[in-house]
Amino acid sequence: MSASRIFAVARRIAQGFRRDERTLGLVFVVPIVVTALLGWVLGDQKDISVEVLVVNQAGPAGQRVVDAMSAAATAANSGTGVGTADDVPAAVAAIRNHQADLALVIPSTALADVASGSPPTLMLISEGTDPSAEGARLAKLQALLASAAQALAPPGAVALLPRIERETIYLSPDASTVDVLAPVFLGYFGYFFVFLLTGISFLRERIGGTLERLLATPVTRGEIVLGYSLGFGLFATLQVIVLTLFILNAIAVPSIGPIPAFTIGLGVDSAGSPVLAFVLAVLLALGAVNLGIFLSTFARTELQVIQFIPLVIVPQGLLGGIFWPIDRLPDVLQAVAHVLPMTYAVDGLREVMLKGADLSSSTVQLDLLVLAGIAVFFVALATATIKREVA
Amino acid sequence: MTTFGGPSSASAPASAPAAAVEAVGLRKSFGSIQAVDGIDLALAPGRIYGLLGPNGSGKTTLIRLLTGLAKATAGEARVLGIRMPSRAALARIGYMPQSKAIYPELSVGENLGFFATLEGQRDRTAIGRVLELVELTDRRRTPALELSGGMRRRLSLACTLVHEPEVLFLDEPTVGVDPALRVQFWSHFRRLAAAGKTILVASHVMDEADRCDDLLFVRSGKVIARGSGAELRARAGTNDLEAAFLQFAGLDAEGRPLAAGGPGGRS
Repeated sequence: MSASRIFAVARRIAQGFRRDERTLGLVFVVPIVVTALLGWVLGDQKDISVEVLVVNQAGPAGQRVVDAMSAAATAANSGTGVGTADDVPAAVAAIRNHQADLALVIPSTALADVASGSPPTLMLISEGTDPSAEGARLAKLQALLASAAQALAPPGAVALLPRIERETIYLSPDASTVDVLAPVFLGYFGYFFVFLLTGISFLRERIGGTLERLLATPVTRGEIVLGYSLGFGLFATLQVIVLTLFILNAIAVPSIGPIPAFTIGLGVDSAGSPVLAFVLAVLLALGAVNLGIFLSTFARTELQVIQFIPLVIVPQGLLGGIFWPIDRLPDVLQAVAHVLPMTYAVDGLREVMLKGADLSSSTVQLDLLVLAGIAVFFVALATATIKREVA
Repeated sequence: MTTFGGPSSASAPASAPAAAVEAVGLRKSFGSIQAVDGIDLALAPGRIYGLLGPNGSGKTTLIRLLTGLAKATAGEARVLGIRMPSRAALARIGYMPQSKAIYPELSVGENLGFFATLEGQRDRTAIGRVLELVELTDRRRTPALELSGGMRRRLSLACTLVHEPEVLFLDEPTVGVDPALRVQFWSHFRRLAAAGKTILVASHVMDEADRCDDLLFVRSGKVIARGSGAELRARAGTNDLEAAFLQFAGLDAEGRPLAAGGPGGRS
């Protein structure tokens, strides 16, 4: 062991950093940007709004509950709206059309329950595709029900809080986080790896002299970019196919010797067409190919490309609607979210895989259109950066 | 080293058309640095030109301007009568850059196939011919990654020649190539020139200079002398091209600036 040699190695690294101002900048700036963004998203998260439709099947007594809830909602003034629906199918239709978030059914038995001194059982219907948002909405609804129950209880008596039974429109009420996040995995991880591969590959083309060599042939910039899109697009396609199969299937492997039994794949059910989900994920990945080419312009070493990862990946993870709904983000970040491809991919994949939407859904049409548009935009941008290189 | 006069240096085609490569007042500056500082050129078909000068004298930038890879700050470059940059002209140009510019993960044959396609070479037998020339025929399936430095250089040259270009720009083509193969390279260049191709070879090795028909000495982005090796020696009054270069550059034998004058003034 020689201290001077150890210090020589350490000094070599420090000297390298000193010359590599961009890495030095990114080392300090990127963590701050990412942390600040996370703080912003979590700190300024908007209060979730709840639109509840009450289906009253308990006659005048139920109507008293509805009135008490409306009064409590008005008094609380906390973004909770209470409306009514004639029957359960009407309420479900309203939720499907995004006109309401929750439906609360007061069954005809509720009155009898209260009369016998037991808490009434109400039925709550929700989409079932976003547990975190629904949990927050449920909490608000329970607060509302508590104030309504307080108002209805005879003076001096303890308010009888209703029991709530849950039903969901799309997934089962006890759907796991895996079920809900599976569509997101498909888009997010595909995007991440394709971006990384293209970014580094194109950077090698730039610094290895092969890009210049290519440009000394009659090949056009557009041909290079489209060739890259096709080549890496093929790999992205294979990757998305494998990932889709893994998410949708579960192969049980029996225990062999000391190895316990395990399952390969997540075994998530897709409500809609896996092919449509696949198309959405591939369109997203095509954008990633060309984003990789574009960003490789701003890097001179592989180290620098790798540092772009948090800048590309983290904001899309935080703002793309993966962990919390976009309408809970601060206004400025909502605007940012609406230009991120991940937002549209996550939305489209959820519509297809969780809600079973098909091509006739205007939401899916919009998502496909925007993703295709973003992919075309980055093809153009990538082509333009190659031009700048040579000028 | 033996001189490589050859018949073609004496008998450039009488009916020679306009110059294959022309530069008029070509300039390229990077900030305050004049990498190419007003160069005029006219290279005739069927001849080998040597672009000689120390590292950083502007050889590579000049070649990049002539191939249209860099944009001139002023002046213009023409190849085969076409103003650069031009994709039509690029199909008839072979450019071997200083960096190896091959794909290490592809095999020798795959690299050649790729460049043949990009250059529009439809005749696949051309690949076998250039492989034979650079003596890599038995390495056709070897990944470029596993080649030695000199072999990669040979592969790079093969990629440059695969579409049988009319004009060749070779930036230090023989670096790392062993002496026996170097002789073969030069005899091939000579055959190409005899077939009417125009070849510009950049080098900082003076002992290759005598294999060229004409020499261009460059220093600090300027052509400081031009002529055949014999002419330049005679004008500098020395038998040594290196000494001649130093004289034209206004430097003494140790590379220090001379007081004033020197044959450079007369060039």
